[in-house]
Amino acid sequence: MARAITYSEALTEALAEELDRDPTVFFMGEDIGYGGVFGFAHGLQKRFGAERVFNTPISETLIVGAGVGAAITGTRPVVELQFADFVAIAMDEIYNKAAKWRYMHGGQFSVPLVILAPEGAIGGAGPEHSQCPEALFWSAPGLYVLTPSSPADMKGLLKSAIRDPNPVLIMPHKALLNTSGEVPDGDHLVPLGQAAVCRAGSDVTVVAWSAMVPKALEAARQLKGEIDLEVVDPRGIRPFDFEAVLTSVRKTGRLVIAHEASVVGGPGAEVAAVVAEKAILHLEAPIRRIGAADIPIPQSSFLERWVIPQVDDIINAVRETSGKAVSAAKLA
Amino acid sequence: MNERQLLGLYEGILRCMLWEQGLMSMQAEGRISGFYHSGRGQEGVQVGAIAAMAPQDYLLYAHRGCGYMIARGMPMEVVYSDFLGMMEGSTRGIGAGIVHIAWPSLGILGQSGTLGGSFTIAVGAALSARIRKENKVVVCFFGDGTANRGTFHEAANAAGVWKLPIVWLCENNGWAVSTTFKESCAVSSIAERAAGYGMPGVVVDGQDSAAVHEATRVAIERARSGGGPTLIEALTCRFRGHYEGDAQEYRDRGELDRQRKDRDPVEIMAARIRSSVPNAEKELEAISERVKSEVAGAAEKAKSGTMPPRSRIYDYVYA
Ligand SMILES: Cc1ncc(C[n+]2csc(CCOP(=O)(O)OP(=O)(O)O)c2C)c(N)n1
Ligand SMILES: [Mg+2]
Repeated sequence: MARAITYSEALTEALAEELDRDPTVFFMGEDIGYGGVFGFAHGLQKRFGAERVFNTPISETLIVGAGVGAAITGTRPVVELQFADFVAIAMDEIYNKAAKWRYMHGGQFSVPLVILAPEGAIGGAGPEHSQCPEALFWSAPGLYVLTPSSPADMKGLLKSAIRDPNPVLIMPHKALLNTSGEVPDGDHLVPLGQAAVCRAGSDVTVVAWSAMVPKALEAARQLKGEIDLEVVDPRGIRPFDFEAVLTSVRKTGRLVIAHEASVVGGPGAEVAAVVAEKAILHLEAPIRRIGAADIPIPQSSFLERWVIPQVDDIINAVRETSGKAVSAAKLA
Repeated sequence: MNERQLLGLYEGILRCMLWEQGLMSMQAEGRISGFYHSGRGQEGVQVGAIAAMAPQDYLLYAHRGCGYMIARGMPMEVVYSDFLGMMEGSTRGIGAGIVHIAWPSLGILGQSGTLGGSFTIAVGAALSARIRKENKVVVCFFGDGTANRGTFHEAANAAGVWKLPIVWLCENNGWAVSTTFKESCAVSSIAERAAGYGMPGVVVDGQDSAAVHEATRVAIERARSGGGPTLIEALTCRFRGHYEGDAQEYRDRGELDRQRKDRDPVEIMAARIRSSVPNAEKELEAISERVKSEVAGAAEKAKSGTMPPRSRIYDYVYA
């Protein structure tokens, strides 16, 4: 059985179920006592007590660093950075502590830490509250990085992350919080590192992350009857299910990579490189990447929509790669 | 402090000092790669404070020598093996140029190579003990230079407001590589900062190991009984360069010589024992013999270890 709930509700359910299941799980972050600015912790302090669900000072290095300290000493902390952009404040704690503590101490510790950090553009939040920073962590062995794109994945990935012995940075997309979808009943877990084929198709593979997944599915709907899209959601970047992407590309011979982060230095670069290394002879057209322009995200929502890739950008890229591009003259 | 305790501290200090001498011979033999920050001159702080800890407590050490692990009771040969990069080390062959030695069974939680990383980790360890309802105190060592990291502010404030059982132990040797304490700290004492975090600040003579022990004992007792954190500033001396090979051209020779002559924690403790313990000379001699043979045995044992295979570099990235 399944019920339709929102992405945000799915997140809270996952936290509540894991807090309930395991007394060593706790949740801390700024303003979460009353529920948090995005409401992730709604009702949790009342239910689980202020010793396990509590506010922190505005101290991001503390939030993540204390998470590491708690994780290596027998608890399973979930810590929240109010915005994913703030990974930059706690970068030493994420990149050098959470990711490497186990390795540099010869495997004597595991770091079962979850860092919850909402990402993405929602209209007008500006360059420091709108980014999708996952690509930074391609160079962070030791860390897992997840970007759920649906309520079911939000719940299942977060629950798996909390149970995993490794540090997991999980970045819910703010623009997805109010979207709804079916979530299976019961103890719903989604394994880490397994891509989802969100739509099977035969003509073009679209690898899309996070909020670009619904956009890619919309593109597929609009192109129905013309070009048959296969939409693959890697669900994050670490661990990365390259096999799923390669399998799809070997079938379709065409690849569009779509993410909200900028194309330059974005998470798709590594995917394009690996596909080129391992499947170039299966490609019938150059790989196309769709993402934000190589500029900061402007704080005006009027301007923001031109920076963030939209459904039409995916459709155009798909047409180009499938040799069915509409000429610029025709578009104009 | 009774005779036995004084002799115990002396033995502890000597163990750290002679262990380090052994390490330096290995370095001279070219067996050791990487960086070593000698702890010579600061053993009294490390031994005195750690002697006040209970077995279940957590330790986050600093980079100034290995007195912390030796004093806490890690097998000496294991610490040598870490420096030799051998499989028998605590890090299983990954080495300890920048010391990432850890020994969870003694609560030794490891080290952040980026200075100041341990502050927030100490807070997390204390939170975790509280959530698991275990009566543990965290002792977190750091240098005066490291005290200027922003993480100190975030961690000390959280420890203060949450009344966490943490002892912040600053080894103020007056130097951060070549930068003096005076030129980098806005107040004349690190302990003064404690007021800003709602905890007591205590200054203690770090060359007097018994005094450090007493100050730490009081702080640990306070922490364990729910009284919250304490900031202890132990005034100490760095006898050698920042790293081995640092000629310390930036230091005043006269001052350094005076420190070595008048402020050596080994000599200070020996003098105290001579003036208060009957049969002192015999006791000191016996300790010295015992420690020398312990250190030599550990070095021998460590040298016969095994180097890691190439595949070792891929181990323990993920659990
Ligand atoms: C964040 C960071 N900055 C700089 C360094 C390089 N570094 C290592 S030790 C050191 C000096 C530390 O001084 P202090 O904290 O007083 O300790 P001491 O060496 O005197 O024991 C520096 C600058 C580092 N490892 N991490
Ligand atoms: Mg110093």
